[in-house]
Amino acid sequence: MSGGKGGRQNNEVTMPAFAEKALQQGVGMAQDVSALGYVPYYGPDVAAFSPQQQAAFQGTNQMADAFGMPSATGQQYMPQAQTFDGGIQGYSSAPAFDQAVSELAVRRPGQADYLGSFTVDPVTGIPGSRTPAQRPVALEMQGGRKGK
Amino acid sequence: MGASANPAMAANPYQAAAQAQMGAMGRTAQGLNETAAQGMGNYQNPYENQVVQQTLRDVGSQALNAQNMLGAQATAANAFGGSRHGIAEAEMAKGYTQQMFDQANRMRQQGFNTALGAAQADRAAQLGAAGQLAGLGGQAFGYGQSIQQQQLQQGAMQQAAMQGLIDAAKNQYQGYTKAPQAGLAALFGGAGLTQGTQGETKSYQPGLMDYLTMGAEAGMKIYGM
Repeated sequence: MSGGKGGRQNNEVTMPAFAEKALQQGVGMAQDVSALGYVPYYGPDVAAFSPQQQAAFQGTNQMADAFGMPSATGQQYMPQAQTFDGGIQGYSSAPAFDQAVSELAVRRPGQADYLGSFTVDPVTGIPGSRTPAQRPVALEMQGGRKGK
Repeated sequence: MGASANPAMAANPYQAAAQAQMGAMGRTAQGLNETAAQGMGNYQNPYENQVVQQTLRDVGSQALNAQNMLGAQATAANAFGGSRHGIAEAEMAKGYTQQMFDQANRMRQQGFNTALGAAQADRAAQLGAAGQLAGLGGQAFGYGQSIQQQQLQQGAMQQAAMQGLIDAAKNQYQGYTKAPQAGLAALFGGAGLTQGTQGETKSYQPGLMDYLTMGAEAGMKIYGM
């Protein structure tokens, strides 16, 4: 077919089909991953004081006691350290985090629900109402064919 | 933590330091208004009076002997009871009396000086011991501090090692929970590589003249033109 007789020549740059498919897979996966939500850490954050340090603390108390000064003898300031697997002793921020999340749900339930709607339910795994899984969009293939 | 592992160590260094300091302060404070005279009584010779009395008796005996000899001499000279004999006896008695006073004074002065010296030495020794006690207390305090410092340093090292374990575990956990994102990044990285691979599609949309030309060419073929 020759040109120049009233016809029109079209040139379209398109992505190869395999690349387009990979991109679609990536977008789909990104939608799923975006609904993952925050994954809290329930392990230890801060190492517990070692026995040597505790002995030194006790020494400070003995020093104060010996000279009739106020001491912290018998007082417990830090929470009880947890022992984790492998003998690791430390403190975890997880209880404080859980408490903060629960407190948000109590004090500002609307905001908490809205926040949770973008991710899966951390207990049931059901996607929230505003996750891409609940609002699917068809991804159109164009590679190697004429586009619309 | 339990008590000291050394059973002979009844008190910890801080208690020892506190006790030493209190003892030293007490003795030093006592010494502020104290004079050596207050301690002299402890060093007076309890037999001093007996010694002095005996010395006086000895001198008295010598004086009596001298008086008897003087009397004998006066008798031999047929002058006993005379004025010259009286003067001689008076001079002799004066000399022996002076001697008794001098002896007694010297002995009592010596006793006073000895007691004063001993009391002063005693006081100085006690104050010196109080100072030494204060020094030992300070030393005990320093031992305690030094041990405590070592404990803190070693304890901090142990805690840092424990913290290192915790941090390593946290890093691994983060790697685990971020695995989907990492996979996604890898996927998009692969897609990015393919972005350079662009295909090109050329198409031609025919116009009216194309269709007329095509019809004319077809007619010419049909009619053998």
